[in-house]
This record gives sequence, structure tokens and C-alpha cells, in this order.
Amino acid sequence: MADIVLDKVSKKFPDGTTAVRDVDLEIADGEFVILVGPSGCGKSTTLNMIAGLEDISSGELRIGGQRVNDKAPRDRDIAMVFQSYALYPNMTVRENMAFPLRLAKLDRETITQKVEEAAKVLELTPLLDRRPANLSGGQRQRVAMGRAIVRQPKAFLMDEPLSNLDAKLRVQMRTVVSRLQKQLGTTTVYVTHDQTEAMTLGDRVVIMRGGAVQQVGPPQELYDQPSNLFVAGFIGSPSMNFLPATVEDGRLRTALGDVPIGDRIRRELEGVDAARELILGIRPEHFEDAELVDEETRRRGMEFEAPVDIVESMGSDKYVYLTVEGERASAAELEELAADAGAADFAGAGSNLVTRLSAESAATEGESRRVWFNLEKIHLFDPSNGRNLTLHEGRSAGALAN
Amino acid sequence: MADTTTRAKLRWGLLDVAVVVFALTPVLWIMSLSFKTPGTLTDGKFVPREWTLDNYRTIFATDQFVRALVNSIGIALIATVIAVVLGAMAAYAISRLDFPGKRMLIGVSLLIAMFPQVSLVSPLFEIERQLGLFDTWPGLILPYITFALPLAIYTLSAFFKQIPWDLEKAAKMDGATQGQAFRRVIAPLAAPGLFTTAILVFIFCWNDFLFAISLTSTERSRTVPVALSFFTGESQFEDPTGAICAAAVVITVPIILFVLFFQRRIVSGLTSGAVKG
Repeated sequence: MADIVLDKVSKKFPDGTTAVRDVDLEIADGEFVILVGPSGCGKSTTLNMIAGLEDISSGELRIGGQRVNDKAPRDRDIAMVFQSYALYPNMTVRENMAFPLRLAKLDRETITQKVEEAAKVLELTPLLDRRPANLSGGQRQRVAMGRAIVRQPKAFLMDEPLSNLDAKLRVQMRTVVSRLQKQLGTTTVYVTHDQTEAMTLGDRVVIMRGGAVQQVGPPQELYDQPSNLFVAGFIGSPSMNFLPATVEDGRLRTALGDVPIGDRIRRELEGVDAARELILGIRPEHFEDAELVDEETRRRGMEFEAPVDIVESMGSDKYVYLTVEGERASAAELEELAADAGAADFAGAGSNLVTRLSAESAATEGESRRVWFNLEKIHLFDPSNGRNLTLHEGRSAGALAN
Repeated sequence: MADTTTRAKLRWGLLDVAVVVFALTPVLWIMSLSFKTPGTLTDGKFVPREWTLDNYRTIFATDQFVRALVNSIGIALIATVIAVVLGAMAAYAISRLDFPGKRMLIGVSLLIAMFPQVSLVSPLFEIERQLGLFDTWPGLILPYITFALPLAIYTLSAFFKQIPWDLEKAAKMDGATQGQAFRRVIAPLAAPGLFTTAILVFIFCWNDFLFAISLTSTERSRTVPVALSFFTGESQFEDPTGAICAAAVVITVPIILFVLFFQRRIVSGLTSGAVKG
């Protein structure tokens, strides 16, 4: 067990590309940290640097207080679970799990005992004498985990360990991973591109983009107080709605009507070089069918009317897609997110709002509906640098804050 | 649908039989000759009328043949082992590392394979005489390794490329050194490739006639294909055809045994289950 510290760690490849830029990260002993981001954001490279499979170009990496930059992977005492599982096909499950122990030159009895213990934890005991080829995907995944936990390393590194499983099994294995980590209390760094996994598993989540860390924090904090446009768009499913907004006469002109703004935001926007064009961000669950909102709540938000495009009933609530007039918001971050989701060339006309309304809502496709949204929960972003203007002293207070 | 597949199977089956018959008839003919007595040798019958083992007795009675057999086995085995070990190391480097001059190395080894061997015989003869390698085992082993290596490197690098790199990374994370990762994880998985290469190299060394006849002069290092060409009967009036046929059968046997033995090791799909799938 040990803490892991990354001190201005960078990775430059020989061809000149910088994969990871000045990453500062302190992972406490026993903490479960998730590195998340779209493909090519440098999360896997960062993990490989911690593992020792990639050289560190500059900066310092300390595990348990010791500088390990120049140490070979085998001298770092950390275990890794690969996306492909990387089981040795010529060995049985037992031999696979015993492999690290045999390399550590433990005696035979200790090896048998440790392998059996680990097999018990992961319910692999009946499979010990099988070969990886005769295992299902979920079983292989468990063997890969078993090989990692069997020698009680200082830390676990996991490189998208669940992404080869089918959806149902993935959810199941997620709880297994989570329980195992709590049970063993071993420092864990987990890489994923799936924001749901990131939100559900980690003590803290590190969001990366283009080799740089965007924001580090507990999942709820990232969700409620995203520091920039990229984090806001990446975290949450369905993702946050973004609309262009123009500052005019102390109000925000948007496709949803004029949004009043509080004193603090206004002061900030009154600066000479302040942006006139902003991006308004609202999460789907901060909308509600206007008919279902009581008087008390109504005062905290505002209403608008828009045609209903599609209604998806999820049982517990309804996803209602509304069509709103005007341009869609544009910023580099949003384009990158769209590209990652594979929807860059799928624009459609006008903008679409995703709202999550109560199941009781009577919204039907084709009609026009009055919808309310919570002004206290909205975010305002500066499109030029993506900064969240509504964040104040680390707190988010919507646009109305004084 | 089923009709066409049956017909296709039949067509292919006939074609296969034709190929096998074409390839095996000369071999069977030689075997038949080796069992015939000198009197019935030229009777044109496929199945010998009189069976005899005299021909075999004759060749094993002559020291010439036995000695050549020992030379052949020794030289071919040593050359095979060295070529496969060196080839494995080179192929591993080529398939895993990106080093300057990699393309050049591949190009040069391909060049060696393409070079007409006949043109090298005279210079090799001179070089070996100067170095005192002429008519020795190393004098044949060295050129065999040289010409077998390109083949070995090519086959082996294809096999190494199939092995997922993640396995090696996993071995390193599990605490293995580079050497341990190669010996305990990569090499066992590349075993089919190693055996295939070994068979190919062995056959090349075993069958070689050109180098063997140019670079040897006595029984000290003469191999079987050459010894066969020097075969005469007990006296100059005796017809050695039967004996030559017997010797030809005898030298075919090790190759067949070698292939059969290693064929069992060439299990396809050995790497299945390593990574997702």
C-alpha cells in the first residue's frame, strides 16, 4: 500500500507529439482514482507511465514516497489489469495466477495458499485447472483481476478492464471491482472512457483532455460544479444542454427567452474585455413540465414553450426532446465532445433540448409544451476559453447569484 | 445447395488424389526398386516379384554410407539448432522493436535468400581452404546457417507478430525480466513457429547437394546426398542401382520422422484465449 504522486509529469513522443502535459496528481493511500476522458486524451499513457511501461519525459513519479522514474515495472511492486486481460494462454488459471508469485520466488505452499485465497474471493475455485481459452469473457476478466490481487501489490492499475464485457456483465463487474477495492483497501488507478463507470466507481475522478488535466474531484462535485465547458459536457448522461446566449441590457437573450442574471455575474460581464456571447448550460433533470411545478418552485425558475420532438418513456421518468429555434452553441470543446461521441457530422437543423421530466408529464410528440427550468442550476460558459462563469469560490450558484 | 457442396467436395477430392499420386509415385517406385533383386530390377513391375533386403544389407555394410549418415544427421541438426536460435532472436527484435536500420536488415537478409548459391560456391571453396574449414563439419554448418537464417527470420517474425504485445507487458508487470518474459511467455507461444522453422531448415540442410559436394572431399564430412552420388557396387561390374535406391529410402526416413514428430507440436490456435475473443 502506498500513495502515488505525479509531479509535473509529461510525455513527449519521439515524433514530437505531447501525449501528456504537466500532470500534477496526488493519489492518497487506499484511494480509488479514475482517469477519464475521450480517446487520445492521454489517460492510458499516464497509466502506462505509472506502470513503467512508458518512459517519463519530464517530471517526477513517486510511489510510497520513493522516486520510481527509472525503475523497471517489476521493481515498482504494482499490478495491472489490461483491457485485453492478457492472460497467458499456455497456462491454466492456477498457473496464470501463480505466475507473479513464482517469479517472486515464493515457496510452493505459500503460492498454493495465496492462489486459493484469491480464487475464493473472485469465485474462481472451480475454474482453477481450466485454460483461458475455455473461459467466458467475464471469467477471463476475473482471472486477470485475480492475477493482480494475488501478490498484494502497493497499487492496482486498471486499463479499461470492463470495456470488453457486454453491457449487463459490465454493470455487475463494476460492483465486483468496487467491493474488491474497498475490501483490500489498495490504492487503485482506473482508466476508462465511460463516464458512467467514472461516476460510479471512483472516490475521485480526473478528467483529461488533450494530455492535460481539466478537473479533479469527487464525482458529485464534477457533476454539480464543472469548472469548464468540457467537463460539463463530458460528465452526465444524457449530457448537458448547451445554448448560445447574448448579453444585452443586463439580461441574457436566449432561445428560451430572456434569462435574468445576478449582480456578481453582471459585474463580471461589465468588464471591458468581457465576452458578449456566452454559452448557457442546463442539465436535462433541471427541466420540468410546467403543469407539475408548484408555485413555490416556479418562482425559482422560468418557463418557455417549445414543440415536442420525441418522447422516450423510461418508466421512472420521461426524456422529452424539444426543438428550439436558433443556432446551436459552438465552441472547440463541444466539437471535440461531439467528435468523440461520433456525432460530429450529425448536426440536424436548429438545436435540440434534452429534458428529463417526471413520468406524470403528459407531453406527447408533435404538440407544443410549456416547460419550466431551474435558474439556480444553470451554468454560463465563456466560449473562448470554456471557463464556467457561474462558479464562485468553488461553488456553483446559477446565474442569479449576487 | 447440398448438391453443389457434395459435387465441389468430389471435385476437390479428385484433384487432391491426383496431386498425391503424382508426388508419391516416384517415391513408391524407388521403394519398390530397393526391394528387388538385381535380376528382376529391370522387369518393369511395380510390385517386386522377388523380395530381398540385400540392398539394405549392402549399404549398411559399407562404412562409406554409415559414416555419411552420421555426418548428415550431425551437420543438419547442429545447423538447425543454431539457425533457429539466432533466427528467433533476430525475428523477435524485428517484430517488437523499432531500431534504425531495421528495414535495411530485412532487405539484406532477403538479398541473401535470393542470391544464386552456385555463384558463391567457388569463393566459398577458396575461403574455406584458406581458413582450414574445407572438408570439416563447421565448413558445411556455417554456409547452411547463413542460407537458412533468412528463411528462419521470415517465418519466425510472422509468428511473433501474432502474439499480443499485452502478454509481454503483463509479464513485465508480474515481475518478469525481459529474458524471463521471452522464455516463459513468448517462446512457449511461438513454439509452433519454432517447430515449423526447424522442420524447414532441417529439410534444407538435409537435402543440400551443391555445398556438400563442393566443400567436402573425404568421408570426414561428406553427407548422404553426396555419398550417394559416389556410390559404386562392391566391384565395378556390379550394378549399384538397388543399393542407391535403398540409400535413398533410408535418407528419406529421418525427414519423415522429423516432420511427424514435430507436427504434433504444431497445434493451431495455441494463442486463443489470451486476449478478448
